Amino acid sequence: MMSEKVELLHHVEAINWNRIPDEKDLEVWDRLTGNFWLPEKVPLSNDVQSWSTLSEEEKQLTMRVFTGLTLLDTIQGTVGAVSLLPDAQTQHEEAVYTNIAFMESVHAKSYSSIFSTLCSTKEIDEVFRWSRENEHLQKKANIVMDYYQGDDPQKKKVASTLLESFLFYSGFYLPMHWSSHAKLTNTADLIRLIIRDEAVHGYYIGYKYQRALEQETEERRQELKDYTFELLFELYENEVAYTHSLYDGVGLSEDVKKFLHYNANKALMNLGYEAMFPSSVTDVSPAILSALSPNADENHDFFSGSGSSYVIGKAVNTEDEDWDF
Amino acid sequence: MDTKLATPGLTAENGPAEKKIPEKYKGMGYHELNAMLNLYDANGMIQFDADRQAARQYFLQHVNNNTVFFHDLEEKLEYLVENQYYEAEVLEQYSMDFIKSLSKLAYSKKFRFPTFLGAFKFYTSYTLKTFDGQRYLERFEDRVLMVALNLARGDEKLATELVEEIISGRFQPATPTFLNAGKKQRGELVSCFLLRIEDNMESIGRSINSALQLSKRGGGVAFALTNLRESGAPIKKIENQSSGVIPVMKLLEDSFSYANQLGARQGAGAVYLHAHHPDIHRFLDTKRENADEKIRIKTLSLGVVIPDITFELAKRNEDMYLFSPYDVENVYGMPFSDVNVTEKYYEMVDDARITKTKINAREFFQTIAEIQFESGYPYVMFEDTVNRANPIDGKIIMSNLCSEILQVSEPSEYELGLEYRTVGKDISCNLGSLNIALTMDSPDFGKTIETSIRGLTAVSDMSDIESVPSIERGNNMSHAIGLGQMNLHGYLARERVLYGSEEGIDFTNVYFYTVTYHAIRASNIIARERGESFAGFERSAYASGEFFDKYTQRAWEPATERVRELFADVHIPTQQDWEELRAAVQEHGMYNQNLQAVPPTGSISYINGSTSSIHPIASKIEIRKEGKLGRVYYPAPYLTNENLEYYQDAYEIGYEKVIDTYAAATQHVDQGLSLTLFFRDTATTRDINKAQIYAWRKGIKTIYYVRLRQLALEGTEVEGCVSCML
Repeated sequence: MMSEKVELLHHVEAINWNRIPDEKDLEVWDRLTGNFWLPEKVPLSNDVQSWSTLSEEEKQLTMRVFTGLTLLDTIQGTVGAVSLLPDAQTQHEEAVYTNIAFMESVHAKSYSSIFSTLCSTKEIDEVFRWSRENEHLQKKANIVMDYYQGDDPQKKKVASTLLESFLFYSGFYLPMHWSSHAKLTNTADLIRLIIRDEAVHGYYIGYKYQRALEQETEERRQELKDYTFELLFELYENEVAYTHSLYDGVGLSEDVKKFLHYNANKALMNLGYEAMFPSSVTDVSPAILSALSPNADENHDFFSGSGSSYVIGKAVNTEDEDWDF
Repeated sequence: MDTKLATPGLTAENGPAEKKIPEKYKGMGYHELNAMLNLYDANGMIQFDADRQAARQYFLQHVNNNTVFFHDLEEKLEYLVENQYYEAEVLEQYSMDFIKSLSKLAYSKKFRFPTFLGAFKFYTSYTLKTFDGQRYLERFEDRVLMVALNLARGDEKLATELVEEIISGRFQPATPTFLNAGKKQRGELVSCFLLRIEDNMESIGRSINSALQLSKRGGGVAFALTNLRESGAPIKKIENQSSGVIPVMKLLEDSFSYANQLGARQGAGAVYLHAHHPDIHRFLDTKRENADEKIRIKTLSLGVVIPDITFELAKRNEDMYLFSPYDVENVYGMPFSDVNVTEKYYEMVDDARITKTKINAREFFQTIAEIQFESGYPYVMFEDTVNRANPIDGKIIMSNLCSEILQVSEPSEYELGLEYRTVGKDISCNLGSLNIALTMDSPDFGKTIETSIRGLTAVSDMSDIESVPSIERGNNMSHAIGLGQMNLHGYLARERVLYGSEEGIDFTNVYFYTVTYHAIRASNIIARERGESFAGFERSAYASGEFFDKYTQRAWEPATERVRELFADVHIPTQQDWEELRAAVQEHGMYNQNLQAVPPTGSISYINGSTSSIHPIASKIEIRKEGKLGRVYYPAPYLTNENLEYYQDAYEIGYEKVIDTYAAATQHVDQGLSLTLFFRDTATTRDINKAQIYAWRKGIKTIYYVRLRQLALEGTEVEGCVSCML
């Protein structure tokens, strides 16, 4: 797949951020840049003690889950977000995709920060080998990669949204589960930062898809809708198998599946479609649901790590009137 | 003896009263029940009963099954002493009959944890456990009993009074005291340490040792770095040799992460630097998001000491000069921190012997605001405000990890082998907080305060930090304590008064005024009993009587009818009362150099069922993340689906009302109050700067964290989540 050539834009004009056809581009750009972070800011080493309280099986599961996530983030950073560039309707949309691509690479790297903090090199190599050999994981990657390399701009957006809003979450479940049991809480902070980003990515790409649909014929809309549900179902089946292969050993598969349903519905919502799963199978454990909130409103102190709440602020000079005393 | 499990529900306490489990909660674990607090029910109501169920299920599913059973108190105490869980010396001061009757008294109060988090936090972090960490040996009542017995040191009357105040929730000792008292394997009872570092290698080396020793024993440690020569300063007259404050910060950070208190909590530290220190920008940049790994400071807290002159320079939009501490010390013959920068500023600017650089004053403030956005740090101490309000002889050069301790210090001098040539005076402070709502309900307001002051004083008397002689000397000289307050917002909401309203501020003023009177009165009584005052009392504004002028020269009374009503059963001291107190203090002195300090109260306010400190709530349902707890949800005290309007959160209330409330309290408190500023993410650095200017003008002494709340982008929030909604 490395031999595939990325299609470049043929004509570029200087981007003017003072004329913005779609205000959403600016809103999302501001949000994404304000959310900028690097894994080095999270004191992961505070989780070393907690890591040692996990059983061997739990450790292995955690590492596998994170390598699975690494693979998805790598795809999204190097192919997914980039593949959306040629179809962008505005220059600002292009700018947002470059930001998304970059942050996905930051996410991919941050899993390595977790690994290097908690595990030995031998274990790390071992789990990366596992990720190359796990059929469900590879299948998931292949399905998405195929669509990214296709030439239908809308289908690419659908694949991207499903990846951002659905496929990640079988992995996100585990760190949220640990943190609600007071384990690996700093790792959970880092994952929550990733979730905070992915929530915006999925939302934005879905939004752009919905805008694009407005230009399409009724017939084409129906085709895309059928395609979306078909793809989701294909991914879902594989995801269920993946979930069982990972989580059966610790008895969490049923709960993770509910979480999959919940997020599949969210992904469909982002694309402007109705939910697929009824609420009776989306009742995720409240502990996970509450832990998922991308809001930066949790309270912590200096004994508790850095939290996932701070953002880069907007600098504005003070004026004479402010100093009037 | 054989340790059996407790019969569930029989010997261990039950959760709150609901006995029947509603159908919708059947089969749920306590973590899930607790998390339901953060989700609205089908009718858009907050599910408070889910949290009460969570507390109950926590006992039924977990605590009761994991509590060691004893037949009676005597058997239990014998076992715990024999097996090195309890300190025999604590119990030997009393007769078994007395201990039994006091235990009975504690249990007769029918204490129940009002929230899941309170119970969970207590059993996770405070109660005595078997050495393997698997089973519980104490209930809440037992912990209160041991704390009271330990602090009262054989005084049956005081022990009884302490049990009454603590079990009722009126007085809550700070974490180190409440966690450690009476245990055989324990850290210190003191919360908080502040040390100076002087500009020499021996002092730096000693400081690293102190950081290790003190964080091993408990509480947070703060260091003043102001006196260290800057990066590029000469060493032995050779230019460009010193590497400044950053490497010292790195050393301290690593020391703190190495030592933790028997795993009870991580060591934590803060460093303070003066605004006019040449390394100030490097210092702040350690918290930048894109800082290089070599200089990035992750877990150390930062504080900046800002004098009035910096504000004056910014007002005139001028440059501010930064002065080399090495040169300043040579010129003035005293450490940089002890020089009054506001007073000597232009003299130092004109002195050619002092190396200086300059930066723009407004840019300096803007940089602080930028870093606060990114990291929440630095804390700020307004140096001149703090020293003007200080009744004690000497200069205050720094604050602590929570920016509420403000005491004078003296430098130490060392031999090459790190022995002391002169033992200076460093600072320790033990804290405890009153629950304002319950204190207002107290049958005897003055006695509640007196008992609390006695409890805190006992901690100071029993503390003996041999590993850091300058702390030991400071404590022996000062007997400093910090009586704090919490649950202000909870109380105001219960009484249907809005936080930050005219009545809210009026109440805060009268409450702190009354507390201050009783605190000084108590310290005076102790001095009289012991025939001893703190060292340097005779040079203080208490001894000269000057301190009392503001209370004797005018009457302090409620300005609103509502507050007069609230104080219907609590006597508000009159000018005459203060006249008499002044005479008594001038005649017999005061035992404690410092009396009040209002900490942020994290953990203990959850156990106590309070809102933190005198802040507004951060959220109606607070999400609490702590290393040992994971993510847990906490409902604001007295909150129901019917009185939501009195629970505006800090972001809605805005910084002016928070600062006005703190200003009303600050004028009566001899030390500081941890003041957090809350902003929405639409704020800019200019808004933060405006808030800092406003705080400084209102006479606020210190600013603790700056917190920002970012709301989920519309369309990305979790559906039906309480903490996501405005």
